[in-house]
Amino acid sequence: MAEEVHLGLPGPWAADYREKADHYTTKIGGVPDWPTVDMGIKPETLQCSLCGTKLCLVAQVHAPVAKLNIEERIIYVLVCSTPQCGPKPQSWKVLRVQKCHNVMQTEGGGDELGQSNGPPSTSVPEEQNDKNKIPEIDDDDFDLDALAEALEQAATLASNSKKKNKSKHANAPVKCPVLKEQACDPSIPFLPCFYIYYDKELFGGKGTVGSSSSELVLDKEIMDTANDEEEKWEGEKYEYDKAIGADRTYLKFKKRLDAYPQQCFRYSYGGKPLMATTKLQDPGTCKLCGSPRQYELQLMSPLSYFLHEAGDGSSNYAPSSWTWLTVIIYTCSKSCCPSSCGGNPHSCCWGVAEEEILIQEDEVR
Amino acid sequence: MAERGGERGGERGGFGRGFGRGGRGDRGGRRGGRRGPRQEEEKWVPVTKLGRLVKEGRINKIEEIYLHSLPVKEHQIVETIVPGLKDEVMKITPVQKQTRAGQRTRFKAFVVVGDGDGHVGLGVKCAKEVATAIRGAIILAKLSVVPVRRGYWGNKIGPPHTVPCKVTGKCGSVTVRMVPAPRGSGIVAARVPKKVLQFAGIEDVFTSSRGSTKTLGNFVKATFDCLMKTYGFLTPEFWTQTNFSMTPFQQFTDLLGKPTKGLVLEAPTETVEA
Repeated sequence: MAEEVHLGLPGPWAADYREKADHYTTKIGGVPDWPTVDMGIKPETLQCSLCGTKLCLVAQVHAPVAKLNIEERIIYVLVCSTPQCGPKPQSWKVLRVQKCHNVMQTEGGGDELGQSNGPPSTSVPEEQNDKNKIPEIDDDDFDLDALAEALEQAATLASNSKKKNKSKHANAPVKCPVLKEQACDPSIPFLPCFYIYYDKELFGGKGTVGSSSSELVLDKEIMDTANDEEEKWEGEKYEYDKAIGADRTYLKFKKRLDAYPQQCFRYSYGGKPLMATTKLQDPGTCKLCGSPRQYELQLMSPLSYFLHEAGDGSSNYAPSSWTWLTVIIYTCSKSCCPSSCGGNPHSCCWGVAEEEILIQEDEVR
Repeated sequence: MAERGGERGGERGGFGRGFGRGGRGDRGGRRGGRRGPRQEEEKWVPVTKLGRLVKEGRINKIEEIYLHSLPVKEHQIVETIVPGLKDEVMKITPVQKQTRAGQRTRFKAFVVVGDGDGHVGLGVKCAKEVATAIRGAIILAKLSVVPVRRGYWGNKIGPPHTVPCKVTGKCGSVTVRMVPAPRGSGIVAARVPKKVLQFAGIEDVFTSSRGSTKTLGNFVKATFDCLMKTYGFLTPEFWTQTNFSMTPFQQFTDLLGKPTKGLVLEAPTETVEA
């Protein structure tokens, strides 16, 4: 599986949890930033299907798709704010907000995932090139220095440009302090808010750990003592990992989580999800166009830990009752246009589509 | 924003500006650097609900986890609440697989962890490199820590020193039988299971084994299985009615109001063998 996986790592906390950002920001918690004021979303969509309370935002991910040339696309993950509804999958909702036609784009498109095809903005490909070079370099020192440079560039760029950098690699972590307006609707429940910055997962798969010289010495010692003993351990064969409370799938999940212990979500458009348990229901097909659904992103447990830590310990706090290991989100594979504009590029407006969500719980029994 | 980049370059692998709230401190970001100065104090971010409870300090003894048979899915849980856990590599053997391009050798590590006072774990891991195998086996061993029940051979004087009754464990063709022994007998066993029994904290025992004990992997697993069964054996002390208590999840859910609602946790205490 050579799919690139982007990890959403935690950035700075928002100074005010209800502060407004724009719809290009990727953040956890807070209040949803709809692209236009009048989205035309029915109020039932923003209510829990079980108890009717208003949903609060868990994650807002700016997710353009380069292959389909869609840039204005955001995924909102919402959950019911009451703790009783927490464990039940029907209390979660995923909305895909998209504007299909981008003929009027001023900044030029197709730059999302690092392919620089003669882009109009000059600073964006520099960062992307830096970031593309980094995974090939094995040396630790160079890794971090180049990364620091790239981040500095990204930070200065973000402070200069008004629009959020849409490149996945160079997402500036800190929002401009100018936009600190309160959300319009004071009755929406909200969770503590922090921003996300992206990183590509450098996972070598099996056995990329190089042994340093000290470890080699240890190996030799062990092998020497082994040869001295009179007993021979015979008949050993390869054995899969097993623990009393954890099966092989979970141990693999934990191994990837331990590589980046703070990952809040994993993004891989059309890739394979990282399972925590073996059973998984079928995601089904898109309700609007009937094309099959494919994996796009999954929320990971450190997210619920961070939200739980930020809570004030009140009994009405939803993240304290979450026990899921991962929440997998499937979206339409064609990313169909949910708005009813009839394909006319000049009058295309924002549309909202509901997508599928599958929760993998931490089973206690 | 520029300072964030500067900070980032200055501290190797660590972000200066941490999360701030709740005293989380700085997050050590490990940027794919396995060689060189490793950050040993990397903060544990719990994955499971049980991990969260242990990290907060709501669960102090591992007996509370054993009482409700909760699966332990993170080795940091065991590291946190079982102090004094020592580990030892018992054996590293090469395991070979025949491929078209010759033989592929991997290493299998057997690691036993224990505190010498009633908790022992065994981990087995195969990996392409020895260091990886040892590290993985230590983690698996910590995930498999089980309680060991100790009892008396005769007079109930002093702390328990031997197994409470005759128990037998089996793995593959090897069966290991442990028989209570009087104080001062020491562990009468082969070298390999003796190590496991020492880590478990058993002072005196007679053992008897059967089957192909040359397959020492099975031998050590049979011994471990035998130790697991010590708490599964119903003796007259357990004939009294059990007072069931709330699991830690229910106990610490704020939905139920006050968390200390008069709970009686009957953690199995090993010293009371009346």
